[in-house]
Amino acid sequence: MSSLKELQDLIQEKYGIPSSELDPQASMREKGLDSLALAEFIFEIEDKFGIEVPDDNPNIDTLAELAALVDKVRAAKVA
Amino acid sequence: MHSVAVTGLGVVAPHGDTPEALFAALLRAESAIHPVFPELPKPAAAATVDFDASRWFTKLQLAGVDRVSQLAVAAADLAMRDAGLEAGAVDPERIGVFAGCGMGGAAALEAAYRGNGRVPPLTIPAFMPNAPASHVAMRQRAQGPVLTYSVACASSSLAIAEAAKAVQRGEVDIAIAGGSEALIVPGVVLAWQAMQTLAGFEPGEAATAVRPFAADRSGFALGEGAAFLVLESAAHARRRGARVHATLAGWGSSCDATHLTKPDAEGQARALRQALKQAGLKPGDVGYCNAHGTATRIGDVVEREALALVWGEQLDGLRVSSTKALHGHLLGAAGALEAVITVMALRERQLPPNAHGASPDPACALNLVREADTQASALEAAISSSFAFGGTNSALLFTR
Repeated sequence: MSSLKELQDLIQEKYGIPSSELDPQASMREKGLDSLALAEFIFEIEDKFGIEVPDDNPNIDTLAELAALVDKVRAAKVA
Repeated sequence: MHSVAVTGLGVVAPHGDTPEALFAALLRAESAIHPVFPELPKPAAAATVDFDASRWFTKLQLAGVDRVSQLAVAAADLAMRDAGLEAGAVDPERIGVFAGCGMGGAAALEAAYRGNGRVPPLTIPAFMPNAPASHVAMRQRAQGPVLTYSVACASSSLAIAEAAKAVQRGEVDIAIAGGSEALIVPGVVLAWQAMQTLAGFEPGEAATAVRPFAADRSGFALGEGAAFLVLESAAHARRRGARVHATLAGWGSSCDATHLTKPDAEGQARALRQALKQAGLKPGDVGYCNAHGTATRIGDVVEREALALVWGEQLDGLRVSSTKALHGHLLGAAGALEAVITVMALRERQLPPNAHGASPDPACALNLVREADTQASALEAAISSSFAFGGTNSALLFTR
């Protein structure tokens, strides 16, 4: 399972940034998703997927890393 | 000391987002007050802003930015454009922001309370009352003093006075001064209803609910919006060839120091006298007063008394209106919005009428501006009053 596509769709819907403009391997901060915006985005992700993302992940910088974390939390929830 | 020129005006108001549209609507006595939140137990009315945030923000930029800051960014930007100040035109360290705000991000706080335990992580930076000033500073790259004044209904009037002092002392070259308020959310409206200061109205009559200085007045309606002025020294304005709307010639501030919410005529008079003294004007020199005029039973009588104390036998020569009848009470943004209206009155030599005053109250006997008589062809000076809960009073005196 990969949440990447769903996260890309959510970013497009919420912030109007198409997936073509946000390289999953690139720093989200450079696209304007700074620490404040990211905190809010994670809140949205939690609402959308009904999960709780642990708040001890300060090093997340790319969308791919965020998707991997969301995958992990969702998998743990299913198990 | 430098003379302080008003070179930019920006509003995001219930009547529109240009000073001209706002002023024209006021001259027509057009009310922006309408019913809100029909789900509340008691009928409520307010004046709200039709605001398109996408003109100033991308969706991403809106993360954690409450409406109160959005309105501030827009109004300050409009004021800077009106002043002809492009980005980079002035050393950022010489630009200051002086912003009034009574409450802060009411919508953010309301959402936090109503989220059933799910509290958005940016509630605090969205809510904090100094957020509007900071957002204006980031947008305009103002790196000088960036200050917030929270003095209830006098917040933005005092912010403008404090900005003028900074200009006068040469601490800043450009001051972006004004205020914003956006608290038309159910919880806050309920709180104001509980305070018993809001105007009652029959169904279908919300627009005329606020009747300043009238015998049948019963309080005010809340309003939202933002207004900013650009202030600079007259010499700085001249050097860069800026258009000057008016001169901020005097200001006064005082505290009643008697009661938290009950107004005091002597306290108000002290602020009015200070403004006159600083401007070097006599009461008879001032042709118009944009009154605080909240249309509460006690407030209007006390304000009339304060004006009578200062103007004495010349009170009849002072034409008075409270435009809150039409745009509602913008609380922390009221002083700034009404300062813009006062400057427009001077510039256009026309006075916005004191609307909905068909039944005059002898206890508030004033020369109120009538709808059919708005010309003021000899107007040279006009004053705007703001009197706050907490007892702080502020007066701004503008000249042509």
